[in-house]
Amino acid sequence: MIHWKSGTAAALLSAILMGGSAAVFTTMPASAQETVKLELWSRQDPSGPLRAGNVVKAAERLNKELEAEGSPKRVEVAVRESPAKGFDDDALQLLKVFGIDQGPDMFIAAHEWICAFQEDGFVLKLDDYIAKYPQHFGTIFPSLWSSAKCPDGTYAIPQDAEARMFFYNKKLLREAGYDAAFVDALPERALSGDLTMDELIDIAKQVVDKTKAQYGILHRPNKGPDYIMTFNAYGNDFVDPASGNLLLERDKLAAAFGWFERGVKEGVIPANNTAMEFDAIRKEFYTGNAAFYMYGIWDLGSVAFPTYGLPKDEKGFFADWGWIAGPAAAKGGSPVSLTHPIVYAISASTKEPELAVRLLGHASAADLNTDHAVTTTHIGIKPEQLQDPRYAETWPLARATELLKITKFLPNNAQFGELNGIIYAAIQGIESGRLSADDAAEFVIDEASASLEDVVVK
Amino acid sequence: MTTTADELMIERRGHARSATRRRANFLIFLGPAIVLTVLFFIVPVLIDVAVSFTDLNRSLRITGFTLEQYEKIFRGDRRLTPVIGLTFIYVFGTLAIFNVTFGLILAVATTSLRNVSGSFFRGVWLLPRMSPSVLYILLWLWAVSPAEAGLVNQVLMQGFGLDAPLDLLTSAPIALIIISNGFIGASMGMIIFTAAIRGIPEHLFHAAAVDGAGTFAQIRFITLPALRWPISFVTIYQTLSLLVSFEYILLLTRGGPFYDTTVYALYVYRRAFESGQYAYGAALALFLIIIGVAVALLGWRFFDMERLLQRPRIEVH
Repeated sequence: MIHWKSGTAAALLSAILMGGSAAVFTTMPASAQETVKLELWSRQDPSGPLRAGNVVKAAERLNKELEAEGSPKRVEVAVRESPAKGFDDDALQLLKVFGIDQGPDMFIAAHEWICAFQEDGFVLKLDDYIAKYPQHFGTIFPSLWSSAKCPDGTYAIPQDAEARMFFYNKKLLREAGYDAAFVDALPERALSGDLTMDELIDIAKQVVDKTKAQYGILHRPNKGPDYIMTFNAYGNDFVDPASGNLLLERDKLAAAFGWFERGVKEGVIPANNTAMEFDAIRKEFYTGNAAFYMYGIWDLGSVAFPTYGLPKDEKGFFADWGWIAGPAAAKGGSPVSLTHPIVYAISASTKEPELAVRLLGHASAADLNTDHAVTTTHIGIKPEQLQDPRYAETWPLARATELLKITKFLPNNAQFGELNGIIYAAIQGIESGRLSADDAAEFVIDEASASLEDVVVK
Repeated sequence: MTTTADELMIERRGHARSATRRRANFLIFLGPAIVLTVLFFIVPVLIDVAVSFTDLNRSLRITGFTLEQYEKIFRGDRRLTPVIGLTFIYVFGTLAIFNVTFGLILAVATTSLRNVSGSFFRGVWLLPRMSPSVLYILLWLWAVSPAEAGLVNQVLMQGFGLDAPLDLLTSAPIALIIISNGFIGASMGMIIFTAAIRGIPEHLFHAAAVDGAGTFAQIRFITLPALRWPISFVTIYQTLSLLVSFEYILLLTRGGPFYDTTVYALYVYRRAFESGQYAYGAALALFLIIIGVAVALLGWRFFDMERLLQRPRIEVH
């Protein structure tokens, strides 16, 4: 049995207490560290998993920066993934989430929805922050910023861009009797305004008539941006420059709908295009059963190369495949292409706006954005990305960049998402034979006037 | 005297106890049902009425009370007339062809078979009702796929030499939604009618047979009169059910092509949840509630359901 003398025991106790205190004091900075949890809302989207992934990676960079500054704050990103099928459904869902005050600190959205969030006061105005952090935002392409603006300022940070076009199957065109020179010259003719939308239908008809291919032209089977470029070709810009309100011009709408009507009448666009499954449409085109496919450049990296085995090398690809800008409505007119930037935005009610801005700034770093660009065939946001050898190796990006000269955006109008739904319904009406082109224009005007506000009709 | 007073007191206590017991029984037996009815039927209707007088929008914000939604219904919405017309065709078609007539044919046919075979065929017809709706519609989508691999097209092209595949989703969408819903609806009628046919005393059929009645005469003069109440019930119940159900249509055709298969209930859904016009959707839904109540009352009157619910005058043992 051990007997401690009281003096020895007291000395030992004091030593333990002192040691304990010392240990407590030395670990003090760690326990004073404050973890800021920032929530990011992102759609589950296989065509851009790094949109959210880059924000998670950016937290490491920001935390190092905070540590170097001596700040006690550390950022942790929690990603809230929504299962929405498309960006429109996702935006509608997120508006409800914000409406019940359960919104995230940051979110990823299609640019045309940003003013819907701004209109309800859900999104943070970023002009001052953008000016404050030129190291993050200073070199983003100026043209992309216009996709992030609402009438009174900038409310989002461009995350990527892409180009929409008509892909085409050169082999089928050659089989239909067109010579190689004609087939290879189509992109140039489209860009110069020499090729017209009607000629596109004629070529597609020739393919359907003279080859085994069943379809001439295919387009997406759901609401989305690409078919809007057809409307742009016929002069529909959808925004009244004087008031900024939505603009519907009956004749121009009817002209664009007329193109779809002719396409179906000539047996080129299938009457059930809008009832087909997306995967079925891709399969028909990439397995050589359709001449043209209206979609976007990222589909090459996301689907065409990995799933359907289209040649990954530039030469091999362009031997039998290619793409053209949306042709002009009439000879000598303007060709069209559409880019649909995805943007990062910050909630107006976040408690840490500064940290959120810095975090998204790091997520917009050239190297991280290039990771996203080259793995999903999306166009980058900064000129320095062009110097990255990985970017240069991804030839579809460089080639698609040619289309940026003529590219347009969807209007950044809070109601455009809803108008697009009406336009899509009208296309479905035309293709399934329920509406004529004139009826479709009337239908869009009627529906939009009844359900949207301040629509200008001409 | 004292005895009488005591007896009276005991009797009163007995009455009081019995009244308390009655109240307790009422609460125990009907209470949960009343609470559920109020929570899931009355409160939603009240919320719907309240929302229909607001401007509740896609971000679930209400900025004021307004009659705007009703103005839109009566003045601006050109889609409503065709949607109501289609709803009538869909409800009437499904009910007349499948839920009542086909259900009746199945019940009569399977009860006249041997017990095992009858049960087997009834089991087969119950499969669509037992399948999860998504699975059931996936099978339909494969069956009517416009590709050559679709079941219908395989049969028509390989069995009947059809040249090009049919696209029934585009060319006959209304027929498709009636058939796909009817296959499910028919099974309910079949079960109820089968039970009713089984309840008919067998000696009536024997007596009729002895009197020289054939199968059709037996069905006409014995079976059908005995099925009057089940037919009335199935008609009213299924009408209401068809008026408000749209999940199979949404899964099969998404309401298209264009608005071709957008029945009223689906139209309400599309307006409210696809366009974010919640207040307008609520106003439209209110009319659905009114139509439902009106149909139920009309059916009650037309089929004289009050008599069905009366106590039988003769106790049957």
